[in-house]
Amino acid sequence: MGTFFEPSLIFTSIPKLLSYLHITIEILVLSVALGLLLGILIAVPKLYNVPILKEIMTVYISFIRGTPILIQLFLVFYGLPVVVGLFGVDITRMDPFYFVIITYTLSNAAAFAEIFRAAIKSVDYGQTEAAYSVGFTAWQNFYRIVFPQAIRVAFPNIANTSISSLKDTSLAFSIGVMDMMGRGDTLISATAHALEIYLALSVIYYVIVLIFERCFKWIERYLNRYILKEEPSL
Amino acid sequence: MQLDIPFIWTALTEIIKALPLTLLIAFTPILLGLIIGIAVAFIRINNYKVIAPLANFYVSFYRGTPVIMHIFIIYFGVPVIFESLFGISLNLVPIAIFVIIALTLNAGAYLSEIIRSGILSVPKGQIDAAFSIGMTNFEMLKRIVLPQAFASAIPNLTNILIGFLHATSIAFLVSVKELTGVANIVASSNLKFLEAFIAAGIIYWGVTVLIELIAHFVEKKVTAYSNTGVARN
Repeated sequence: MGTFFEPSLIFTSIPKLLSYLHITIEILVLSVALGLLLGILIAVPKLYNVPILKEIMTVYISFIRGTPILIQLFLVFYGLPVVVGLFGVDITRMDPFYFVIITYTLSNAAAFAEIFRAAIKSVDYGQTEAAYSVGFTAWQNFYRIVFPQAIRVAFPNIANTSISSLKDTSLAFSIGVMDMMGRGDTLISATAHALEIYLALSVIYYVIVLIFERCFKWIERYLNRYILKEEPSL
Repeated sequence: MQLDIPFIWTALTEIIKALPLTLLIAFTPILLGLIIGIAVAFIRINNYKVIAPLANFYVSFYRGTPVIMHIFIIYFGVPVIFESLFGISLNLVPIAIFVIIALTLNAGAYLSEIIRSGILSVPKGQIDAAFSIGMTNFEMLKRIVLPQAFASAIPNLTNILIGFLHATSIAFLVSVKELTGVANIVASSNLKFLEAFIAAGIIYWGVTVLIELIAHFVEKKVTAYSNTGVARN
């Protein structure tokens, strides 16, 4: 650990750290996209009240909600090779990057499933009945009536989950992924200045989060474009 | 590699000894952060000059950066400041203290947002009514605003409690012997990583479910008087 604080090191290390930004973004984009798909699969049994499957999904969601992401990361990292080992596949040498993607996908999927469920439940069933009464099929009802209204409710929560997922990617280095944090670790060993590197990393994370928040705000406004501004009462 | 199921139990009995420290690291910051949170929330609601933008930056920065950064910056930063300014070495201070300081600052930022939205959820007419019958500022807060703000904040507070319980797992990266830290020690000394982390996962899960149950019970109690929504509750 350095004895003196060198502010200049903060600025010189930012470009070095930024060259690993794409790993962080890759983890985020892949895990959010796959998480959305898996989240739908998890939400469906609960929405359609499928027995047994519904209970399994409830336990799954409760487990993901009940354990820290770090523990989930370790469970996948040490557990997945054992599970697929039963089928005679050896993945102990797989790049830790994929373990991270799998963990964050599983974790995001549970959060997204709950968001989808709440969003779809927020659309009045009378609308579905109305859609059927004018001859819509189940699929037409879903994508023309329910979905556009549900996405409006779900989007702010999806955005929040994605942003906390972005912050959680900073833990991927603990199983040896070379992302910004991993690069930061090597810079710390090279320069013996930890504080400056972590400050630089904080600045980067903060700016990225701000950019994401701004983009999500735009999308939110677009999704709400048909909603009338609430008139103040009186 | 084979899963050693009896060892999960052995590990569980070993790891659960770290639960008191984990709960201390998780809940002390929330209690201390509540004070920061209330102060920051009032600064932001009343929009005081100069300090309100500072408070806004504090909240947005802490919400926009990972917890691990807060822990590392306090862990590496505070000793550097103390050594260079006062010449005091902090080598003897337990690492858990640094983690508690970091999480307290983090809790302050998150709680201020929750308190703010809780306070703003109380209709302004009630505040006017309180003043009109001669309540002082303090009475109005204590008897009208805060009880309602607290009731509407419970679901968010539960999420914060659970979030902090889980955030303590990061303290293991600065070698605090909390649940994850002890799990890691048990794992590496027996070379049974999966079993140890399954045991740790079960403990976290159990505590989380317990918090959720208690929160559900408390919410029923404090909202018993309210009559909102579509069904009488």
